[in-house]
Amino acid sequence: MAKILLVDDDPDFCEATKIILESKSYEVSIAYDGIEGWEKVKADRPDLIVLDVMMPKKDGYEMCKELKADQEYADIPVLLLTAVAENVPTTRYTTRMGMEIEAEDYIDKPVEPRELVKRIEVILSK
Amino acid sequence: MFQETNILVVDDEQVMRDGCKRILSKRGWRVTLARDGQQGLDGLKNNHFDIILLDLMMPGLSGMEVLKEVKRIDPEVLIIVITGYATVESAVEAMKIGAYDFISKPFSPDQLTIVVNRALEKKRLEQEAELLRREREKSLQDIAMEKSKIRTIVNCMAGGVIVTDRESQIVLNNPAAARMLGIHDTHLAGRPLSQCIKDEVLNQLIGEIFTCRYSEPSILSRELVIGESHITHLRAHAGPVRSDEGEILGAVIVLEDISYLKELDRMKSNLVAMVSHELRAPLAAIEQQLMVVRDGFAGEVTEKQWHILERIKERSDGLMAMIKNLLDLSKIETGQTVHKKELINLNDLLRKVLDLFSSQATVKKITLRLEEGRNIPLVEADQSTMEVVFNNLLSNGLQYTSEGGSIELKTSVEGDYVKIDVSDTGIGIDPEDLPKIFDRFYRVRSEKTRHVVGAGLGLAVTKAIIEAHAGSIEVTSEVDKGTTFSVLLPKQVE
Repeated sequence: MAKILLVDDDPDFCEATKIILESKSYEVSIAYDGIEGWEKVKADRPDLIVLDVMMPKKDGYEMCKELKADQEYADIPVLLLTAVAENVPTTRYTTRMGMEIEAEDYIDKPVEPRELVKRIEVILSK
Repeated sequence: MFQETNILVVDDEQVMRDGCKRILSKRGWRVTLARDGQQGLDGLKNNHFDIILLDLMMPGLSGMEVLKEVKRIDPEVLIIVITGYATVESAVEAMKIGAYDFISKPFSPDQLTIVVNRALEKKRLEQEAELLRREREKSLQDIAMEKSKIRTIVNCMAGGVIVTDRESQIVLNNPAAARMLGIHDTHLAGRPLSQCIKDEVLNQLIGEIFTCRYSEPSILSRELVIGESHITHLRAHAGPVRSDEGEILGAVIVLEDISYLKELDRMKSNLVAMVSHELRAPLAAIEQQLMVVRDGFAGEVTEKQWHILERIKERSDGLMAMIKNLLDLSKIETGQTVHKKELINLNDLLRKVLDLFSSQATVKKITLRLEEGRNIPLVEADQSTMEVVFNNLLSNGLQYTSEGGSIELKTSVEGDYVKIDVSDTGIGIDPEDLPKIFDRFYRVRSEKTRHVVGAGLGLAVTKAIIEAHAGSIEVTSEVDKGTTFSVLLPKQVE
């Protein structure tokens, strides 16, 4: 089954999300910031990355931007998570630095387990 | 030149020379004599003459040759040729080469005086004309050099002032301008404007002032960012400087330091972002864990437990909504609706918005469609807040449309506006609710909308943003059939 990398600085949120995803037999690994996230991407290439936007050290925007700029990893789909809901659509296209980032989808936190699973299925089916 | 008139008489006949001297000296004019062409030319080397009386018939260097040579040495001298007995042809020929007038022998003292006076009169008029011309063409440089009260006032101003000529060379500035631009030298006169303000667009716009692109007096404004390590934000206002006749002499640029305002802005948005994150992140974690337990992922859940957990979720949803309310409200109140205007292609923007919602739409089995109007003009707007507008409208559409429905976006031109229609096949809005739909905190409360969680501020924020762009938004709807929101945004002014 597909490998999902979850990158989020909130350990409780990570634990809850991991439980949801593992119930659907996804293989889930966790990183708590963008730097750790990169290490895990390189060590064991995931099929999907669920990426929180607000993180210390390296946030979701930066990591997503870097992933998409790297030919080797650009094709890994990214689902952006955010608790800053109404800003997300705009911030999908403009980071604080005014650049475009091409995530496949975004979801507000918290997300209904069913909804999360459905969105992931849609992305992975493409 | 007005002081003493200098006349040179070149003639090989002594009688002529002495006679002329006698006649002309009586008038108070200074007369120098030369007995031949060469002596005459030698005299020219060291002295300046206003008038030369030149005999054409001379041995050695002929009069014509002397004439040519004099014209070469000092083109300003007026030459009156003395022609031989009744020979007009030579006079005409001499005037073709550059002689001013002629007098033929024999002539009376009066005749000589008249001819010389005529020449002097011409000189005087020429000089007056030259002076008037100079006066009219007085460059801004000269004006700038004048020590005047206005100059003193300008120097004391807190705002930066720079005046340039038509070639965008600085002719005047005050110390405040140099300081704002981070230039140590307080005198910038002589420098090209582009050297001191390194903003291409501003320099180009100022250049356009000179080519009279603006037919009426107009002031353009532009924000500048100066410096690299220590950044200063300035606002520059530029306009033409005109002469009394309305002719454009140059440009004046006034600089305003808005760094403080920018900092305030930045702090405000940082605060909002911070509060937003600090309050919502923990709540999000709480809710996520709640849902995991509620939905049985952490073990079987009894019906009683499920109910309680579901109620806890609803209360925390309420908290989330309240936080969102407060943030939205603070945004409208602090006027964070228009930040930076640029030229936007609405078809491109809508395509992006649709793309963003495509997965959500697929999950809900709703079709999204964009009908791109042709030749849609660009619109001057703030990109990010425009995205908020259409995200809100599309998100609403998805919220209130059931499975199998569709949402269509359409762009078209209507008069001076670009029109964007967002139509859905959703549950529609009751005629009673329709007039209040854009009101703050207004939520339609019915069976069908009970599931919708929201603050009731989305449309209020949308409307505020559109109106800040001098546009308008309208809604038409039919219950159970669908709703259409029509946004009008002014076309870019050509």
